[in-house]
Amino acid sequence: MKVSHNELQGLCRKVFEGMGFEEGDAADAADMVAWMQSYRLGGLEALNRGLDYLLSADTPLPPGVLYQDGDLAVLDGHGQSVLRSSSLAIELGFAKARARGLAVVKIRHCHNRQLIMGYLSRLAGRGMNVTAFWRNAHAPLTEQVVCFRSNSTVPEIRVYAVQEVPEENEPNDAITLVLANHIGLMPAMRSDYQYDLIAKHSESDLMACRKQTLAEGIDVNDAVWARLKQLSARILVEATEASRGGAGAGTTDND
Amino acid sequence: MHESSINMAGSLRLRPAGQVMQLERLGSLHASRLSFVRTLVRQMARQRWQVSCTRFDLDAQGHGTAVYRLQTPYGRYHGVIFAQPLEDSARSDRVIAEAWDVTFGVVEGELNEDLLAQMAANVPLQEAGRQDPRVLVLSRANKSLRNFASFVDALAEGRQPDPAWLTKVGYLYRTTAVYGNGKFGIADYARLQDSPDFRRPFSVQMFAVYLLRHFSIEQVEHIARSRAPESAVAMHPTLRRYLGIGNSTGLGMAPFLINHPQLIQQWILSRESALAMALEQVPTEAERWRLIELTRRAMQHLAQTVTEDKPQQERNLETVASLPEVLTWLETVPLDTDLWQQLTAWAERTLQLETQELINTLLLELYPAVVEPFEDQMSADERVELTPDMPLVRLKQLIDTHYDWTLDHDFTTREGCYWFWYRSIEKEEPRLGVRHQEPGAEKEMPLAIAPRVQRAHDAICAFLSDHPRALVVEFLMEQPRYKEIVRRIQTMAETAYGEIRANLWHRDMKPMHLLRAKLSFFGASRFDPKSDRWVRMTLFQGAPLVEELNAEPVDLVDFDDWSFSLEPAAIDTHLPKAGETPE
Repeated sequence: MKVSHNELQGLCRKVFEGMGFEEGDAADAADMVAWMQSYRLGGLEALNRGLDYLLSADTPLPPGVLYQDGDLAVLDGHGQSVLRSSSLAIELGFAKARARGLAVVKIRHCHNRQLIMGYLSRLAGRGMNVTAFWRNAHAPLTEQVVCFRSNSTVPEIRVYAVQEVPEENEPNDAITLVLANHIGLMPAMRSDYQYDLIAKHSESDLMACRKQTLAEGIDVNDAVWARLKQLSARILVEATEASRGGAGAGTTDND
Repeated sequence: MHESSINMAGSLRLRPAGQVMQLERLGSLHASRLSFVRTLVRQMARQRWQVSCTRFDLDAQGHGTAVYRLQTPYGRYHGVIFAQPLEDSARSDRVIAEAWDVTFGVVEGELNEDLLAQMAANVPLQEAGRQDPRVLVLSRANKSLRNFASFVDALAEGRQPDPAWLTKVGYLYRTTAVYGNGKFGIADYARLQDSPDFRRPFSVQMFAVYLLRHFSIEQVEHIARSRAPESAVAMHPTLRRYLGIGNSTGLGMAPFLINHPQLIQQWILSRESALAMALEQVPTEAERWRLIELTRRAMQHLAQTVTEDKPQQERNLETVASLPEVLTWLETVPLDTDLWQQLTAWAERTLQLETQELINTLLLELYPAVVEPFEDQMSADERVELTPDMPLVRLKQLIDTHYDWTLDHDFTTREGCYWFWYRSIEKEEPRLGVRHQEPGAEKEMPLAIAPRVQRAHDAICAFLSDHPRALVVEFLMEQPRYKEIVRRIQTMAETAYGEIRANLWHRDMKPMHLLRAKLSFFGASRFDPKSDRWVRMTLFQGAPLVEELNAEPVDLVDFDDWSFSLEPAAIDTHLPKAGETPE
């Protein structure tokens, strides 16, 4: 089925509120999912993959700082979805880049990493050059690079498989962010290493996608949508006779 | 010459937010020439919009489908209206209703048979249907049964309906929701942001309502003609003009005002800037007499406004009773260069809020060239973003300076936290519950800004005592629950008028003020509160008709002069047959 951006964002927000997200986190997470889906980057699919994990998670911990100085920060995402844990870690990087011109932030142990793109888009919209990089350790070894120019909320994305896998290849569930005030870091696939390009999304392709979804609506999977609808009902209050009076008008208006 | 540059807003003597943003004052606002219905009518006339009927398949009872085409210089749209039989037991103005007398939508572009069939299957279902993304507005309306029946009877019998019916209830239909911005699959507002026709807030919704008004006239004439082809007459143009569209609104409107503070800032700032510029104008004798004329008209309009709500009735009566004094003041004082400033200062000292705001509204009428540039200032880029590198002590200062009004309330008393706002499982209808008495407080909607700011302030002060040089992001890493309110404070501290200065939990809080504030910007008249949390009102009463618009009016000043509509005097009964246009 097709839905609008506002509808998708609104429903996701209710779902996250119903899961116990703090208000700001619910809004941010909903934006992240809707952003991805509106560029046809599979936001809802990514959410659906992590939904059971999110629902089963214990009381969330805010990301913990393992190390930081003026230019760098390493944080522990406590194995949580980036929907819950990433926004303030990213904001920490933003603050450091503002102060020092460039900052590197590594968030270890995070889940659902694709979904971080939507929040990075907001930082780029605030005038920051942003590059995010992460890799999967399982075979084939894949890497993803997402780059935003400052003041552009649409990224360049590359996903590629690296053929020469290093011997030291520990499971990797981190994201590395590079944020710079005045330095653009866009993908440049000119390395001597062998790689297979799996996906390439240019800014112009993504902008065309967004234009199309705005005009035609956003495709969503019916079953996922139905599940989200069901979850969103958690924020609703059961009706009683007294509550019906709490809204105002009578129930028939035959005057 | 009038100063019309909106860039002057920075140097204007604007009223302080502490005065303007008081809930009771916002609940005293009247429609003005910056209201969306007025702006739309001016735009339609200026750009020579043309409305034509392309389908009118109604049976003798008026049930069926009607399609209207709108052609603007930039685009084409279609209004599609479905009228259906409705059991009296199902007629409800509440959002929990499931069927209506008419349902309708406005579509961008051409309307082919496939789209019409899709709409016929879904628009009557409203929230329960899935709408096409070419649909820009989705709405529904119920009949005013008494007016409808009396109008059909009169027209069928060959006489004009008594205008007094429309003074009592100013419409044949009242809408119960007018949906835009992506609801139920329709187009996102982002689609309209670059539209030369409908980029202004709520303009496409207002157009849908305007079209329904036209349909209501054509439908009632059609039913009368079907019932009595020999005797039926058309409605007199004067009466058509006096016919508006009603709206029934409940608490659903309240969350919008809280959740869109940047938009509210633009609406209020525009109105206040226009008012400040109007007050600076040096009046001429002609302008003084124009204000006198407008005051007389408004006085008569309010005297004719019918409501059973005692408090509103008293306010109307008090305004009507005080306006002769205003007229005397205007007629007798010397024509000083700062006359308007003297007038508003005198009004503030001596008159009730609704009368003060009425005078402000009327002053805006005097200076179209000054006021109208603000039409294009009513939109906002609604991004609320964090400034993580702000020193936390600076954030505390922002609260102390711009949100000091939140720090004085006591939210721990029973009165201070009496109400909570929530969404019901019944169609997610927003409702108010009594805390500690009704279930659901744990699912409260965070609409009350004041307690949230106060709590954040307390937490910030405590954090600062241990970390006096902390940044905002460092505070939030420790206490992430404050992220949303902190970025709101950071964003809105740069503005004057975005926050409504009230404790929305307080037992004495009147939700009606929230509704009226928003409705005044829509352009509502004849406020008729049915309780403290739902209201009926009228839009477009007195507005130019579609046929006047299609005639491409030359005198745009006259075309625009339809505020505070008055009951027409006796109408000539010698009229042509229904379907013919009277001269």
